Amino acid sequence: MSKSSPRRSFGRKSTGTVTVIEAKVHRSSARNARMAFILSAVVIGVLATVVATSYVHPIIALFIGAAIGVPCGALAWLLVRIWPVLRLLWWWTPEIVLTVLSLTAWVQLANHTPTIVTLAVVAIVLGVPAAIPAVRRQVVAWVWCLIVRHRLRVCFAQFIVANQSGSLPLILWAKPTPVGERVWVYLRPGLSLADLEGRLDKIAVTCHASSVLVERASDGNAAYLRFDIKRREVLTATVTSPLADVVTSDIPATDRPTPVVPTALDLPDVQAPTVTLPVQQPKKPATTSANGSKPTAAQSTDADDVSDWI
Amino acid sequence: MTTATAPTAGIPVGPGLSMFDPIFLGIDEFGQPVYITLAYRNLLAGGEPGGGKSGLLNTIAAHAALSADCRLVLLDGKLVELGQWEDCADAFIGPDITAALDVLRRLQQVMNNRYAWLRAHGRRKVTALDGLSVITVLVDEIAFYSATIGGKQEQEEFVALLRDLVARGRAAGIPVVAATQRPSFDIIPTSLRDLFGYRAAFRCTTPNSSNIVLGHGCAEQGYSATDIAPTNQGAAYLIAEGGIPRRIKVAYLTDSQIAGIADYAAWTRRPSRLSAPTGSRLDWEIAA
Repeated sequence: MSKSSPRRSFGRKSTGTVTVIEAKVHRSSARNARMAFILSAVVIGVLATVVATSYVHPIIALFIGAAIGVPCGALAWLLVRIWPVLRLLWWWTPEIVLTVLSLTAWVQLANHTPTIVTLAVVAIVLGVPAAIPAVRRQVVAWVWCLIVRHRLRVCFAQFIVANQSGSLPLILWAKPTPVGERVWVYLRPGLSLADLEGRLDKIAVTCHASSVLVERASDGNAAYLRFDIKRREVLTATVTSPLADVVTSDIPATDRPTPVVPTALDLPDVQAPTVTLPVQQPKKPATTSANGSKPTAAQSTDADDVSDWI
Repeated sequence: MTTATAPTAGIPVGPGLSMFDPIFLGIDEFGQPVYITLAYRNLLAGGEPGGGKSGLLNTIAAHAALSADCRLVLLDGKLVELGQWEDCADAFIGPDITAALDVLRRLQQVMNNRYAWLRAHGRRKVTALDGLSVITVLVDEIAFYSATIGGKQEQEEFVALLRDLVARGRAAGIPVVAATQRPSFDIIPTSLRDLFGYRAAFRCTTPNSSNIVLGHGCAEQGYSATDIAPTNQGAAYLIAEGGIPRRIKVAYLTDSQIAGIADYAAWTRRPSRLSAPTGSRLDWEIAA
């Protein structure tokens, strides 16, 4: 009786905690904010009090400590509460900066120049990179670098189950490669290289890529990884050696002695028992032919021998 | 008599190269160049016929021929794969196991002498500053010598000598690069095969064949040369410095490119460069 009721309550409690991840993260964020408030308020308050006691009366110092500690704690609480928003802003920093810059440039340009000039400048700025293939490819590659960092974060957030607090890996910089992009990632606790290797096909789908490879970027730190996102195949290309280009062509040709051109290049020219190789000069006459009869003396020549055909 | 003009576009690089330099092999799957340093290593290439093994051998031979500090010993059962390098090579052996055994015995003697020399100097390996030449041994179709021609005793002696070179030649500056289609135990003893540090697996028809080249268990980890498309000649899995197989595409030299490099290398290797054009020779000496 007494054993069953705690078990039931325990079971009910455990089913109660299985909730949507979003609510769980939200609640843990509220708890974290509370803890951050208390901790920073107490620590900063105590420190301020200790410092203040050397100047004023301890009781007044206590009030000063409280006056400093509580606003600092509030600041910490606020930072933790708006952390998801800050994180979102941080993720989109390149896009935000680019948008602000281009909008500012557009507004400044439109305000200071006549419409014709404005349109001409915009046409040049947009048209020249679009018209030159090398520049266009470079721009597209860098745009993919921006995109792929978001896609990788989507992978981690959506289907790669991380730790309990739901913290995502730090997605560091990305750079274009001839086959796609290369992204460096710093893993948080809860993930490993082996976990990711089993999900590379899903990551490739999410990144709109052909395939994805992951390997360690550092020998000394297992958390530091490198993702190679492949969109193109380069191994089918023909690679030439640079050595052929650096050799000058105006050198004297090597004077080789004219080699002896071998004969007996077709099957009927070669007799059955001995196969002639070019270097074996003394040619052994066959002792017997296939039917066991004595070979004729003229058998060692390359000409067609009638006895071979009988 | 014709006098050639001095090359203005580039300085001859042949005398500037060294076997201790990284050798350009091709590109990896990310488009980055792949280099290997072969002076202290041995390389075994395997894969089906037409996979690109001879492309790899020719790329290495081109670097070796242009290296001033390198001597070439070529063993080619097919005569044509390495035949264009004959004038640059110190020894070129065709389908003749007696000649192959002779040259391997000579190499063994050189190796022993070098080790005695190193011991006399209290050293353990040859370096680039010693002025000794690196003797690069290139064997195409190792199976031809070890399992096809000659008697049983000659084949066994060939394998024993080659194993000795692979086992001991490293520190004496005698790297061996060997190619065969399927280095299974009936062709090459496992004791010889496993000594090769670097492996290149061109297209194989079965995962087992790929494992024979790359090492046991590689196909299970996803490194199987059966993935390579039959039309994609020159694509291979390479195990080199990194230790992990990586996909590469081997550089390909056409016959005329090989002929050009071979002529150039033969000219730079000529003991007395009397027939050299005056302008080019000046540049050559500046570059050297």
